[in-house]
Amino acid sequence: MASEQQPSGNHLLELVDIEAGYGRAALVLRGLTVRVPPARVVCLVGPNGAGKSTVLKVASGMLTPRSGRILVGGQEATRYTPRRMLSAGLSHVLQGHSVFKELSVAENVRLGAYTVTSKADIAERVDFVKNLFPVVAERWNSLAGALSGGQQKQVEFARSLMVSPRVVLLDEPSMGLDPRATETVFEQIARMRSAGTAVLLVEQNARRALETADLGCVLDLGRVHISGPATELLADPRLGELYLGNRRAAPHAPTVTD
Amino acid sequence: MRNDSSRTVVASSAAGWPRARVAKLTGLLALVVFVVAFPRMAADPFILSVGVIIMSYAVLATSWNFVGGFTGYISLGHASYSGLGGYATVLLILHTGVNPWLAMFLGGVIVALLAIPIGIASLRVRGASFVIVSIALVLILLLVFQSWGSFTGGSNGLRVPRPFGDEVLRPEQHERFFYLHAVLLAIAVLCWWLIDRSRFGTGLKAIREDEDKAQSLGVPTFAYKLVVFVISAFFTALGGGMYALWFGFLDPIFQFSILTGSYMVLMSLLGGIRNVFGPILGAVIVGYAMEFFKAQYGDTQIHLVALGVLLGIVVLFMPDGILPALRGLVIRFRPQATSIREVTQEELTRDATGSREESATDRGTGTKEEVSG
Repeated sequence: MASEQQPSGNHLLELVDIEAGYGRAALVLRGLTVRVPPARVVCLVGPNGAGKSTVLKVASGMLTPRSGRILVGGQEATRYTPRRMLSAGLSHVLQGHSVFKELSVAENVRLGAYTVTSKADIAERVDFVKNLFPVVAERWNSLAGALSGGQQKQVEFARSLMVSPRVVLLDEPSMGLDPRATETVFEQIARMRSAGTAVLLVEQNARRALETADLGCVLDLGRVHISGPATELLADPRLGELYLGNRRAAPHAPTVTD
Repeated sequence: MRNDSSRTVVASSAAGWPRARVAKLTGLLALVVFVVAFPRMAADPFILSVGVIIMSYAVLATSWNFVGGFTGYISLGHASYSGLGGYATVLLILHTGVNPWLAMFLGGVIVALLAIPIGIASLRVRGASFVIVSIALVLILLLVFQSWGSFTGGSNGLRVPRPFGDEVLRPEQHERFFYLHAVLLAIAVLCWWLIDRSRFGTGLKAIREDEDKAQSLGVPTFAYKLVVFVISAFFTALGGGMYALWFGFLDPIFQFSILTGSYMVLMSLLGGIRNVFGPILGAVIVGYAMEFFKAQYGDTQIHLVALGVLLGIVVLFMPDGILPALRGLVIRFRPQATSIREVTQEELTRDATGSREESATDRGTGTKEEVSG
């Protein structure tokens, strides 16, 4: 289980006891705690409305939590703006297609480095992502809108890596992709990890995501209910319950984090 | 390596495609030759004066396109800046006696400075609200310049001192102003082109497509919009100043007219706001059509009807403007053109097996502790 395997100082991103919601509406996250260690893929799974995307919005500074703390590399980052979070090393890939369709792949990727000022650094990152994502290199001068959905996703990944992030936040990267493109997406996530980047992943495609992830957290009703090594979660019968609709059982099930 | 023909949807000709580049340079050269030769080819001073008007429109539309083309903020009130530029130029000449060309430049600087607070106030709102704010400004300026007769000449208008001596006759005046406008246009086009290729330009185009997304990537959206807005006001003011020096008379009702601003928008949309030459093409078509209808049908308002029909046709059949529509045609008739990469069955299987092997090795190394730090 994630939070006790490693001492808290070793984590790149820590969300502790987060309560958050939109406007005056009821809370979406109710005391949620998630920790991301270096160069690990942490996957959040859970039914619709569990608050998975909200976790990412809180982590990237797009939504300020009502209470709780956010630590990046052990440093306090609770009320950071999205721009400061980006500078601190958190890069968010939004749900759905978020490439700029009217710009070229090159322009899209370079947009990811907007907070980077050194030209040499940018050139180095361009080489790095071109190497990591062959499609990006191949279609460098094409309009991003002319690419297929899977290719656009890779452009978004490349863009998110331009700031040399410590943690990449991926919100349902396989949404709307065919099985082959989905497979590529998970392969790319594994490659990001082997390049030293930690990934906080939200996925509906839970089984496939947990196969790639190192750690998993099962969310329901704004809390982490089960968390632990991804392989253990895959074998856990309660995971099936949450997805097969027997939801009333889940909150009463013994949880590892709480 | 795989399927090179797929790279035909090329966003910019900067790299690769030497043939397209040669074609572009040839086209540019032909355009320059045509502009230089036009006054010699013009049959009479009237045609030449139409040429000056079209040039002036081209300058104004290109200046408008700094804001409209890059950020997608549609200002219907750019007559504010051309009008202010004209009045600033003339009032500086009348009250301080400076050289007319220096006055024109200073007028541009003054308008650019005025555009800073205007931009801060108006660029906060998007879409229809921004359009309304821009129109409101024109109407306010119209009232001010009409009412403040002692300073601006009011509704009686303002006579502009001629920058060239009396010995320079009318056709000669037209010719000189045609070239002067051409130089100003060339500077504006160069400036637009440089921004288009820069990091600044990429940020602006990201704003055009999705401002929130651009902001989330760290683009300083407000500062960028403001800078390009001020640049646009500066060039628009220079265009207004030069027009004033040529035309020789300023009347608030024509200087601060919604119609002038609408022409800039129409010309840019017609030619294509994403192309540096779009507004120029639009200015040639709209400017020529207007003068043609005015000459044929006198004082009737038929030229406005014709413009309306033209706008309708463009919006229906070429929503991105004429230049992108033409480029689309060229791409369609190019033999190997495809918009999406065609993948053969063989490649599919090869890709799939190839990447599965890759990922297997990745997972092997990925789980080890070889971490960023």
